[in-house]
Amino acid sequence: MRWKKLGKIFDPTEHILLDGCVQFAQSPQALVFDDFVRIYFSTRSVDPSNGKYLSHIAFVEMRKNLRDIIRVSNHTVIPLGALGCFDEHGIFPLNVLRHGDAVYGYTCGWNRRVSVSVDTAIGLAISRDNGLTFERIGDGPVLAASLREPCLVGDGFVKVIDGVFHMWYIFGTGWKQYAPDAAPDRTYKIGHATSGDGINWVKDEAHQIIPDRLGVSESQALPTVIEITGRYHLFFCYRESFDFRNGKGRGYRIGHAWSDNLSNWTRNDEPPLLQGAPGEWDSDMQCYPHVFECDGKVYLLYNGNEFGRAGFGLALMHT
Amino acid sequence: MFHWKKLGKAFTPQEVTGRDWLKEFAQAPATLLLDDVVRVYFSCRPPADANGQYVSYSAFVDLDRADLFKVRHVAERPILNLGGLGEFDEFGTYPVSVIRDGGDVRAYYAGWTRCESVPFNVAIGCAVSRDGGKTFSKLGTGPILSYTPDEPFVLSGPKIRCYNSLWYLFYIAGRKWKMVDGLAEPVYKIRMATSEDGIQWSKLNKDLIESCIEEDEAQASPDVFYSNGKFHMFFCYRYSSHYRGRQNGYRIGYASSTNLVDWVRDDSRAGIDVSEQGWDAEMISYPHVFELDGSIYMAYLGDQVGRYGFGLALLKGELE
Repeated sequence: MRWKKLGKIFDPTEHILLDGCVQFAQSPQALVFDDFVRIYFSTRSVDPSNGKYLSHIAFVEMRKNLRDIIRVSNHTVIPLGALGCFDEHGIFPLNVLRHGDAVYGYTCGWNRRVSVSVDTAIGLAISRDNGLTFERIGDGPVLAASLREPCLVGDGFVKVIDGVFHMWYIFGTGWKQYAPDAAPDRTYKIGHATSGDGINWVKDEAHQIIPDRLGVSESQALPTVIEITGRYHLFFCYRESFDFRNGKGRGYRIGHAWSDNLSNWTRNDEPPLLQGAPGEWDSDMQCYPHVFECDGKVYLLYNGNEFGRAGFGLALMHT
Repeated sequence: MFHWKKLGKAFTPQEVTGRDWLKEFAQAPATLLLDDVVRVYFSCRPPADANGQYVSYSAFVDLDRADLFKVRHVAERPILNLGGLGEFDEFGTYPVSVIRDGGDVRAYYAGWTRCESVPFNVAIGCAVSRDGGKTFSKLGTGPILSYTPDEPFVLSGPKIRCYNSLWYLFYIAGRKWKMVDGLAEPVYKIRMATSEDGIQWSKLNKDLIESCIEEDEAQASPDVFYSNGKFHMFFCYRYSSHYRGRQNGYRIGYASSTNLVDWVRDDSRAGIDVSEQGWDAEMISYPHVFELDGSIYMAYLGDQVGRYGFGLALLKGELE
């Protein structure tokens, strides 16, 4: 499988975003229309009470050449959660899919903790206006921590296959302080759940479906799945669990695995899918992939350096 | 109206020595009957930390079966460790409810974590004892009952029961955080879930008990007891603000049901209220009803939600 990098296609600093957001366009995810593609992403404002970030959902609409921008959203797509709720301090990412007349939006909600920085859970919000705005089905999540998944359930990606909702998501295996003066770091792995209605889910609890390449301290995030000629391909990003922000060679890169039965996945990302050349926007890091099909072509949206502070780019699959 | 005869305070945590994790509080009493003692599980606290914040541990006291005012033994150490870094029960295991399961004893407990915008969040965990309820091992590092669309936070106060081979978990779920004088105060309601095995739960997703004193009434300690063909629930309730004193503090309410799903609230039947003076003159809360040698007792908390211990009342007449 070979990919042709098409470069960065969206830079948030070149647009006026809502809620005082000026940087970050993270975890781009596509909803394809007849004559344009809407790409949702998470951008950030600064919480005036403490200077910390709040992630908000916005979108950009592009021509199907995925180069020309039609418009950027200037309204609230989905508000943040209420006081004390799982998604009070951010929604990142939002995964969208059409279901009947509705668009289902699976949110990863963030809420801040005291001993560790954050916890997350997965919520469901439904759009009845073709994805312009979303309304939660409730204040709480549809997928959260459980007996053997103690923290950080997030990054849901949902696909309906033969009438069954499948969700690939991540679950935390725990927090660890790697140095005496360091803030705790987390490790998470990719799991799988199924559902008849998209609301009530049955987890294959604590079952890591993608083997580690970097050992037990590999963190895996943002699963995204596509079927190509009868074979399922799962893309994700992975990194070391500590010193991953600036440590050379320790940051996110794109992983890949395939399956013919949705149960057993074969990891296949050596050599790496995407290489960043020095000086490029994605030279040090490639993360938060989203794979989708548009007019017979398979594309990969992803973020580059600094977790998408300066936007997202695109790659095209060679067939 | 039921007639409860107050017997006085049965356990005072301040009288226990040699346990640095037990300085004050004996909250949410829950009983397990042994041959010659009644083991009463409770939750307690060491002194607050430098920031004035508490952790909660759960432990037990064995009361003499022939004289419940005679303390025979106090647990040497907490029955559960606090959770690890970032886990749901890192800062507290409170309250706890126990039930026999064959030769094991199972404990359902609420685990506490600390949050930034609100003071805490709570979810329900499970642990098992193979030594008659002295020590417990957690079934996992995460909760068995957690947040869902209609129950977004603060799942606490578990009470575990088993009727006709089906497991019932009565608990509370947070409805909203209400800002009162700059503090976030939780409003919670009584809920129920059922299970075939006590591990995989189906939530009923329904408030069992209608709110009475105000819409934001907070309800806790849903303690269900079967007697004379009916299910009896004693619980406690309070106002949503300024509830740390006599005026708006906890009182004990009552409801009954024939099917465990539909409950009729009638607090006028509860038959127990704050005293004119003494250790339970400001509030009474966290009722737990149990039967012992032909008599029915209620364990409950007094002022400051059990800071100074729990007391007992004896039912005169029948629960019907």
